Amino acid sequence: MAVDVSVALPRRTEKAARGRAPDRSRTLPLVFWFFGSALAAFVAIPLLGLAAMPSGAALLQVAMDASVRQAIGLSLEASFLTVALSALLGVPLAYVLARLSFPGKGFLAALLDLPLAVPHPVAGIALLSVFGRRGVLGMPAAALFGLRFWGTLAGIVAAMLFVAAPYTVSAARIGFESVDPRLEKVARTLGLGPWRTFWRVTLPLSRRSIMTGFVLTYARAISEFGAVAILAYYPMTAPVKVYELFLRFGLGEAAAMAVLLLIVCLALFILFRRLVSGGGAPAGIGR
Amino acid sequence: MSEAAVLVRDLSLRLGSFELRNVGLSLDRGEILVLLGANGAGKSVSLEAIAGFHRLRGGRILIHGRDVTGLPPERRRVSLLFQNFGLFPHLTAAQNVAFGRRGADPSRLLARFGVAHLAAARPDNLSPGQKQRVALARALAARPDLFLFDEPFSALDAPTRDLLRGELRSFVREAGVPAIFVTHDRTDAEGLADKIAVMDKGRIIQTGEAADVLCRPADTVVAGLLGVENILPGRCLGRANGILHVAIGDAVLAARTAAAKGAVSVCIRAEDVAAMPPGREWAFSPRTWSGDWPAGGGGTAINRLMARVDAVTSLGPVYKATLDCGFPLVAYLTKREIRDLGIVFGSPVVAEIEAEAVHVLPAGATRPAAEKGG
Repeated sequence: MAVDVSVALPRRTEKAARGRAPDRSRTLPLVFWFFGSALAAFVAIPLLGLAAMPSGAALLQVAMDASVRQAIGLSLEASFLTVALSALLGVPLAYVLARLSFPGKGFLAALLDLPLAVPHPVAGIALLSVFGRRGVLGMPAAALFGLRFWGTLAGIVAAMLFVAAPYTVSAARIGFESVDPRLEKVARTLGLGPWRTFWRVTLPLSRRSIMTGFVLTYARAISEFGAVAILAYYPMTAPVKVYELFLRFGLGEAAAMAVLLLIVCLALFILFRRLVSGGGAPAGIGR
Repeated sequence: MSEAAVLVRDLSLRLGSFELRNVGLSLDRGEILVLLGANGAGKSVSLEAIAGFHRLRGGRILIHGRDVTGLPPERRRVSLLFQNFGLFPHLTAAQNVAFGRRGADPSRLLARFGVAHLAAARPDNLSPGQKQRVALARALAARPDLFLFDEPFSALDAPTRDLLRGELRSFVREAGVPAIFVTHDRTDAEGLADKIAVMDKGRIIQTGEAADVLCRPADTVVAGLLGVENILPGRCLGRANGILHVAIGDAVLAARTAAAKGAVSVCIRAEDVAAMPPGREWAFSPRTWSGDWPAGGGGTAINRLMARVDAVTSLGPVYKATLDCGFPLVAYLTKREIRDLGIVFGSPVVAEIEAEAVHVLPAGATRPAAEKGG
């Protein structure tokens, strides 16, 4: 009797454990999958619908159109220049915000995030008033350097930079903040000056965050319509061209070009993601 | 101007509301100075100031007679190690060692520390002991004139600390390079220090040979930092035959110490207190006894006090017994002593303290006990 009980007891608890615990542990992933797939479907269905819209012939026809290819090329180029400028100007700014303390720092940080919240046509109007023919920056730039922002690549890049650079600044700032300042101090005592310490310790350790910022900046830049359309409608970037095709020829033509743009962007971002995650060391200090 | 390998004189600086005042230290070759203090005492700031990361308001830093006061950190030839040893996580062990080297061969250095097989490993995959060895190899590669350690063990468990402390100690001895080791842990101080400097509120409050500071804390703040368990208010009664008599409440203790007057603080380490059942003192102590019991004193070298056990708690390897002798007295006893002597709550015991173990501080030096831990 006593033996029976001692053997039966563990069996029963074992059975109970087999019966309940796995159920409970499966609930969370299931629920999260359910909600998550709703959003995934919400994003995927319009994109797939768009992709299914134009016929192969229409796609080919649009792709053969020189002005379409030009617009896509211009978008890629302008976005690249935007990222380059963000890197040159935004990364130092991010470092300043992450490492130095000065009066008005909070205000400056908030100001830099503002372009993300401003409606993009509003951003375009603000830029036009400054970079336009009679703007405080537009007029001297034209007079001194012959640099014009209205209807030029410079204007497109200016509009893109305004709306997209904050992504680089905030991502790089988070990256710099995650680097333990004591690691920089160790590098200094090992004989490196401030510049070499930045290149060999701070930058490599925040590389992943900064690259993510570049990807986001590129994405934001290439998709920008509102600000670009107001400051520099011509020469036409891809989004502006899609809009123009829609106005002049209707949904079919516009959708064909949109799909073309989608394919280019998808290829690009798969490449970017691979670059960002590939072979990098994790940020932060070793534990 | 001085024979000391490293000389820090009158270091003063201000950081926000924090102030470092007239910090002075001196070290010889291969010597370890432990800078001991509670959190916020200014230990790390002092270390960083010596490394060159803070602008000074005054003071000078001489390393091997070279005045480095005006130099940037990269030209001072000091090596800084902090918690987790500060290895660069994006570099392999070999790359870490090669990082700031001045001519030394990284693979040979790694081999010297017995970690050659880890050359390609990232710091994240190393044990604390391996990290320390790689970090020491890296520090050595830069051929520093001074090592600075900022609580490198603070994230480690006690056995690992003990192990690494021993390795660190022999490393510094062998390298013949002076080292300043910052800690708030007295076991680090006891295990490493040739010299100890105790900091509080941005000032050095006591400095000297390790044994001196450990045995004769200058005031109750130092005594508290050194973990002296019994710091008791007392009153000097008089001195005869090299023995000072101090009253603590109704009890009188004999202390073999320099003359003092009036109100004093009496420091007794818990390991210097023995406890035994009444009437069995003779069995445990071969010393002569004056018969002046229970007030203690007379010409004897041993104090005996009647007490009652107030509490017994396990501290792992030892037990901490709080004895009520009219004042609370903490004693460390082994498990066997507890069992063999039948020491339980409420049992009467005789507490024994040698007169040499009773350390008397002038009460004028008494300040609120420093915060410990963290």
